[in-house]
Amino acid sequence: MRLFFAALLLVVGTIPAGAQWLDRKTPGIPRTADGKPDLTAPAPRGPGGKPDLTGVWEADNVLGRPDPANLQPWVLELSRERQLEYYKGRPMYQCRPSGPEAERFGGWKRIIQTPAAIAILNDDQTHRFIHTDGRELEPNPAPSWMGYSVGRWDGDTLVVESAGFNDKTWVSRYGVSHTESLRMTERYRRRDFGHMQLEVTFTDPGAFAKPWGFTVDMTLAADTDMLEAICEKSSDAWAGSLSDAANQGVSVAPDVLARYVGVYTGIYGGGERTYEVTASDGKLFAKLLGPPIEGGLGAAGLDDSVPRPLVPQSQTVFEGLGLGYRFVVDDKGGPATALVVIHISGPYTYKRVK
Amino acid sequence: MRLLFAALALILGTTPATAQWLDRPWPGIPRTADGKPNLSAPAPHGPDGHPDLTGSWNGPVPEIQFDPANAQPAVNALIRQRQREYHKGRPLYNCLPNGPEADSSAGWKRILQTPAVIAILNDDLSYRVIHMDGRELEANPAPSWTGYSVGRWEGDALIVESNGYNEKTWLSRYGQSHTQALRVKEVFRRRDFGHLEVEVTFTDPGAYTKPWGYTARMELEADTEMLESICERSSDQWQGGAVAADTAVTVAPEVLARYVGVYHGVYGGAKRVIDVTLSGNQLIAKVTGRAEVDGGVIRPLIPQSQTTFDGVGIVYQFVVGDNGVATALVEIHISGPQRFPKQP
Repeated sequence: MRLFFAALLLVVGTIPAGAQWLDRKTPGIPRTADGKPDLTAPAPRGPGGKPDLTGVWEADNVLGRPDPANLQPWVLELSRERQLEYYKGRPMYQCRPSGPEAERFGGWKRIIQTPAAIAILNDDQTHRFIHTDGRELEPNPAPSWMGYSVGRWDGDTLVVESAGFNDKTWVSRYGVSHTESLRMTERYRRRDFGHMQLEVTFTDPGAFAKPWGFTVDMTLAADTDMLEAICEKSSDAWAGSLSDAANQGVSVAPDVLARYVGVYTGIYGGGERTYEVTASDGKLFAKLLGPPIEGGLGAAGLDDSVPRPLVPQSQTVFEGLGLGYRFVVDDKGGPATALVVIHISGPYTYKRVK
Repeated sequence: MRLLFAALALILGTTPATAQWLDRPWPGIPRTADGKPNLSAPAPHGPDGHPDLTGSWNGPVPEIQFDPANAQPAVNALIRQRQREYHKGRPLYNCLPNGPEADSSAGWKRILQTPAVIAILNDDLSYRVIHMDGRELEANPAPSWTGYSVGRWEGDALIVESNGYNEKTWLSRYGQSHTQALRVKEVFRRRDFGHLEVEVTFTDPGAYTKPWGYTARMELEADTEMLESICERSSDQWQGGAVAADTAVTVAPEVLARYVGVYHGVYGGAKRVIDVTLSGNQLIAKVTGRAEVDGGVIRPLIPQSQTTFDGVGIVYQFVVGDNGVATALVEIHISGPQRFPKQP
């Protein structure tokens, strides 16, 4: 995840949280005896008797990792291509609206509910508009970045149906595409004053064999406020493709590559991590063994069990989708004794075990 | 104006207006006998008795009341520099938020009003939130693109005070800058069902001696729907920079002097006056009349040959007689060349 946030810092300007109503008490909300917001009080209701979702909400992080087997082949292939481009084309990195992207359901939102319409305002200065005046979705909508949404109440659950997305947006930051026929269903349930659960389902037979989705827990952000986070610099100037890295023109002889092949184990973030390094067709590949890593690795892919190519930068240092890989060798010409993975949080040494 | 729209067409993608609720009649609005929305019916009021501004609105680019004499010298210098750069740095052209720019009062917006908060949603997906819960503006706000706004009712008028802008935004598309101390006051009046008037005042002593502003007029867009219009391509790749034009050639001052004069003609059925003057060794054009360009802001003319000049996106070619004195000026424009004879 850290690399991911480093990438975000490159493109998103945030406001220093020094002022601006950040410690202002939200008026008219239920409080406990000690004056704190009572997040377990009953959910408020509007004049029509339905739950009122109005408020500033902070949603948990979302990772949209569909099962690769559920993706149509062209979607999986495009996702892999985009990984090799370090996801440079992600709409958010290009300062474009994120549309239905799963990851953008995380973070801060302000919801404003009126009887005929609900607006969801994002901190990146985009918004969605949900019509609740009983209209139906158009059968042949004009493609747009944020789509068109209609909502209705199913008991105390707000059910939002959306269509009319263009095919420029992604449904996850792993480069997962969709077609213009994408339908999105959201179910919002405000369980109590401070908690809301959201269930999102993507349906798009041209891209996904079966509908898939995710859930998000949202917490009311009382006694504070949402600040804007504007994308001021797009990823246009990123180096951004593994083939650019390949243009360094360094070539490493096959017998040298052969000395790096092996299995390396070490500790990362308090847990054991194992890399398997292989060579094929004069190229080196690294693959993580064991369970997938939450948030992935460098420019993570949907299928991290697929070996990632290592591009030589020198005789011992390789670049592998955002991480540096250095092989430790002695002067006797034997196999490498260790692999050092160079990461934003420091270098990590993995000893050869095989 | 056409040049501006041509520039906009380069960077804004709009949704084709073929579908999407564009001809869906709004339920529950007043209508005339022939079934059309009755825009002169009384303005609706909410349960709290205040006018309800909720709805889709649309309006023209407002006329700003800007006097260069009221601006600090540094502001005027920046306005001229930005013009010479073809306003390439305008936040809108860079796909950045407009903030308080006067032109952002124009075009489509959707207003959603609740007792505690009013949201103004723009078709470029940006939005403003006006807090109506009685809070005061912060004395030392964190600078932001869209500022912070609080509103209150005075009779049927909604008074909105805003501050906390960063200094990257402009006050109009002509490049007026402001400081972080800018305060914006807006008075919203929904005169009747179909008409909304907003009186805007900019106060910023570090940039302008006296407060100044404009009035925006919007009409309700009933029985239709606002579509999104996203900036997908910034002005990064624009040529920009009239001063840096590598192609500029040198024209002798005595030749430039023969082009000075007032040229009259008709453009798009309206009178246009092009006043060409010399300032030092720089030829300058000012386009006024009913068919004015950019509010008559002066345009430097950068020589491209002995008779042809680039005037910030418009080409000016002087037609000369045997004595070398100009007899007419041809404006070479996206819609074709137009001839303006010189006035005796």
